[in-house]
Amino acid sequence: MSALTLYNYDLDENCYKVRLLLSCLGVEADQVAVDVMPGKENLSPAILAMSPFGALPVVRHDDLVLYEAEAILAWLAETRDPKGGFLPKDPDAFGRVMMWLAFSARELDAAVQARSTAMMDAPGDIDALRMAAREALRAMDDHMTRQHFDGFEYFAGAEPTIADIALFPSFALSRDYNVDHDAFPALRRWARAVRKIDGFITMPGIPEYH
Amino acid sequence: MSLQGWYPLVLARDIAPGTSAGTRVEGKEIVAWRDDKGAAHVWEDRCPHRGMKMSFGFVRGDHIACLYHGWQYDTAGQCRYIPAHPDLDVPKTIKVPTFGVAEAGGMVWGNFDAEGEDAAPHPDLPGDITPLRTVFADCPAALLVERVPFTPLDGIAPEVKATEGRIIEIRLGDVTLIAGIQPVAEREAALHIVAAGNPSNDQMKRLAFWAEQLRRDAEEAAANEKIGEIAA
Repeated sequence: MSALTLYNYDLDENCYKVRLLLSCLGVEADQVAVDVMPGKENLSPAILAMSPFGALPVVRHDDLVLYEAEAILAWLAETRDPKGGFLPKDPDAFGRVMMWLAFSARELDAAVQARSTAMMDAPGDIDALRMAAREALRAMDDHMTRQHFDGFEYFAGAEPTIADIALFPSFALSRDYNVDHDAFPALRRWARAVRKIDGFITMPGIPEYH
Repeated sequence: MSLQGWYPLVLARDIAPGTSAGTRVEGKEIVAWRDDKGAAHVWEDRCPHRGMKMSFGFVRGDHIACLYHGWQYDTAGQCRYIPAHPDLDVPKTIKVPTFGVAEAGGMVWGNFDAEGEDAAPHPDLPGDITPLRTVFADCPAALLVERVPFTPLDGIAPEVKATEGRIIEIRLGDVTLIAGIQPVAEREAALHIVAAGNPSNDQMKRLAFWAEQLRRDAEEAAANEKIGEIAA
């Protein structure tokens, strides 16, 4: 199989989603560092030709170019996860994974925006974004509270999937946008379960516990 | 506001051995943590070094370490190890304030009276319970409690019986819930809810949905009350 190229910015949680899954799958990729802050290299013609708004991550494999982290996660799971656990074939489990991927890209995007407003001076109403992010985290905590009664430690069931990979960064980084972990006990427990996935890695802002 | 008596802080289930949880009581920042032997501790949530929250840190064995510079504290709150000065015999004055702690009714309780843990007996609650969940809501604690009878489950209104201290008993169909009331801040509250006995997992999930609805009802009532205050 020919090499993968990941256009990556280390401080971007969407790039971290892809790095995390690659690590869990034990897949190597050539990483091209894109200097987003302060270099704005993501708005260079070369990147815009692959990702029309300059959003990272971007993955290139031969003629295939993909942007949108959730799509990249699904494609990686489909092509590079021989056990198939990260994107289950069972229709109901598949549906649940897709639902949480969409949630990650839609409802939880408020958290991504809140963080870039708080940390990278991106424009935005930080209070409104923080409240929207908290509502998304509440819905996640409610779901995991009920999952735990069924003995499930992950979003779509007993085993980790790309849904967990997609949802993890915004919770783990919530203190960056001033939302504490205090009110999310089920997510604290789930985050410990995510940390136990083989190949788990951190990103800046997510401490290693040593 | 001065704190008196025992306050429920977290469901015992929700701090596993080797983990911590930050919380507040009337705005005062608290960390509840459990060492690897299972004993719970309730401390001020502040490292004396740079003021970092201890709840951001991590538990190793019977020490809790600050995330910032790794200063480690023993179960008495005494600093024992400073990584930047590994050979230092740490002065006794470097200590995190500790508070009275008790576990009862599936909850971890803290007592912040100046006299410490001898000030009052811990609440006498049944041990045969199943933890449900904590409801965190943006409303005063009194309002959250007030809304309980108005949040029906399958069309049946809960019956609420105040017992003693910061505890209410809620009859919900054939299940009895026991809830510990935590005033987090002026307009923030937590209700730590357990079910008496051993309801089935399906029952627990239905009760969890009910608790989510209680949060929505209480926050809506609080928002309406605030609009009323502004109008007046």
